[in-house]
Amino acid sequence: MITSSNLTKSYGRVPVVRDVSLHCEPGTITGFLGPNGAGKSTTLRMIVGLARPDHGSSTVSGRPFVELPNPTRVVGTLLDPSAMHAGRTGRATLRIAAQVAGVPSDRVAELLELVGLADAGDKRVGGYSLGMRQRLGIAQTLVGQPQVLILDEPANGLDPEGIAWMRGLLRDFADRGGTVLLSSHLLHEVQATVDHLVVISQGSVVASGPLAELLASASLMLRSPDPEALARALASAGIDFRPGPDQTFTVDVLDGRVTPELIARVASEQHVLLTELRQSDSGGLEQLFFTLTAAKAAHSQEAAA
Amino acid sequence: MTSTTMTRPVRSADDHSPGATLAGIPFSRLFRVECGKATDTRASRWLLAAVAALTVGLMLAPLLAPSSIEQTYTSYLSFAAIALSILMPVVSILTLTSEWSQRTVLTTFTQEPRRTRVISAKVLVSLLLAGAAAVFGGMVTAAGLAVAAASGREVEANLNAGVVVGYLLFVLLNVFMGVALGALLHNTAAAIVLSFALPIAFGMLGFALKSVAEWIDTSTTFDWVLNGQWSGHTAQILVSVALWIAIPLAAGVLRTVRREIN
Repeated sequence: MITSSNLTKSYGRVPVVRDVSLHCEPGTITGFLGPNGAGKSTTLRMIVGLARPDHGSSTVSGRPFVELPNPTRVVGTLLDPSAMHAGRTGRATLRIAAQVAGVPSDRVAELLELVGLADAGDKRVGGYSLGMRQRLGIAQTLVGQPQVLILDEPANGLDPEGIAWMRGLLRDFADRGGTVLLSSHLLHEVQATVDHLVVISQGSVVASGPLAELLASASLMLRSPDPEALARALASAGIDFRPGPDQTFTVDVLDGRVTPELIARVASEQHVLLTELRQSDSGGLEQLFFTLTAAKAAHSQEAAA
Repeated sequence: MTSTTMTRPVRSADDHSPGATLAGIPFSRLFRVECGKATDTRASRWLLAAVAALTVGLMLAPLLAPSSIEQTYTSYLSFAAIALSILMPVVSILTLTSEWSQRTVLTTFTQEPRRTRVISAKVLVSLLLAGAAAVFGGMVTAAGLAVAAASGREVEANLNAGVVVGYLLFVLLNVFMGVALGALLHNTAAAIVLSFALPIAFGMLGFALKSVAEWIDTSTTFDWVLNGQWSGHTAQILVSVALWIAIPLAAGVLRTVRREIN
C-alpha cells in the first residue's frame, strides 16, 4: 500500500509538485501519467525519501519510506535504469542488491532467468541497451520479494515484446496482492496495464480514479451519412461537437450530462439518420490526457496573462 | 521456476508479521557490501594494481641510487610511504564518489535510507584499505631491504616503534584526505584533481608565507608525522588535520545526508 497526501515541492521559486495525493491499494496497478516535466519523478522521489517535500507526507506499507528497516524487503524501486554502475556485470549488480536485502544469492540466477538476461548476466552493464537495463532494474526491484513496486517510466526502451512481458509480470504481481505504482508518458502502455490512473499536469493532479470510469467519461463517437444535418441538429440542441474524418463527430459527455440517449433523441427529433453512436474507443485515454493537460496549460496561461 | 512464483510478494499485504520486514540491515552486512563495491570494478582493480606497481617501482630508488639516498630501514620505509600517499587517496576518493558519478546512490540510498550508515561503512572500508596498503608497503620495504642485504650492502637497522607509527599515521592521514575530499565533493574528477592540485598550490604558497607552510600545507605537516617530529609541531599538525580531514569530512557527511538525489 502507498499513501501520499498533499505532497508539495518547489525548486527555488518554481513549483514542481503541488498538493499531490495518491492512494495505491494492494492488488492494483496505479498509473501515474503525465507529460515530461509534469512532476512525476519528483513525486516518486519524495515517496522514497530521495527528495524532501516542502509539505505533505507519504507512507509505504504504513510507514514513511525512510523508516522502513530494510526497505527492499517491502518495496522494490526502479527510478532510473541508467543509474547503474557501468563497470559491474548484471549478475554482480543483482548480487549486491541480494546481499543488502539479506536474501540468498541463488535468487540472482533465478531473477536473471526471469527477466530474460540469463545469457547477458556476465556482461558489464555499460554494454547493456536501455531495454536490458530496464529488465535488470525490474529484476533488482524483485530481489527482496517486496509487496510494493515503484517504477518510474519502466516501459522506456523496451520493445513491444518487452512491454507485453512487463505488463504480464506486473499484472501477476498485483494479482497476488502486490501494489504497483508506475509512471509513464506513454498513454497506450498505461491504458493496457493499469487499473487506476492518476493524471498529473504541471505538478497538480488533474484527474484520478479507476481507469474504466475515467475512460467512460471521455466522449461519444457519432456517424451520420448526412453530417451537415447532424451538425445542425447538435447545434440546435446546444451540444458542442468536433467533426472528425469519414462523417464522424466526437461529443464530450460532460460528466454524464450528454448521454447516448440524448443524442439519439436529438437525432430522431430532427430526422437525422445515425449510423453509429458509441463510446469513443480509439485513443480514448489519449483524448482525456490531452484534454486535461491542454486545459490546464491554457488555464495557467490565462492566469499568467 | 515460473514467473508466477518469482514475482509473488513474500507476504500478503496485510500480514505485518515481524521478521524480514522489521529486521534492519546489520552494519556488518553494509560493511561487507561496501567492501565489495570498493574493489569489484575494473577501475578500482587497475587502481590498486597501480598502487602496487608504484610502490614496487619507488622502492627501486634507494636500491639503485645508494650513493644519493640514505641507506637506512627508515629511509626505505619512507619510499613506501610516499608511494602509497600518491595513489591511495585516489582509491578512497573513488570509494566515496563513484556512487555519485555513476548515480548508483539512487539505488544505494533506497536500499538503506539511513545514509550516515552507508558513509560510515565506506569510511571504514577506506580505513581497512589504508591498513592493508600500509601492510603491503611494509612487505615491499622488507623485500627491498632483503635485496639490499643480498647484494652485500650495509643498511642501518634504525627501525623502532615510533617510526612504524609515524609511517602508519602518514598513510592513514593521506588516505583520509581523499576520504574527506570525496565525501565533500561527490564528484570523482573534481576530487582527484583537487587532491593533486591543492597540495601543490599550498606548497607554492608555503614558499611565500611560512605560516601557510607550517599550519596548512600538508606536505610539511604530514612529513613531521612521518618523521615523528611531533614536538613543537603538535598544534600545527592538528590544525592541518582539522582543516583537511575533520572539517571537510563532517561537512561531507552533512551534505550527503541532506542532498536530494535526482
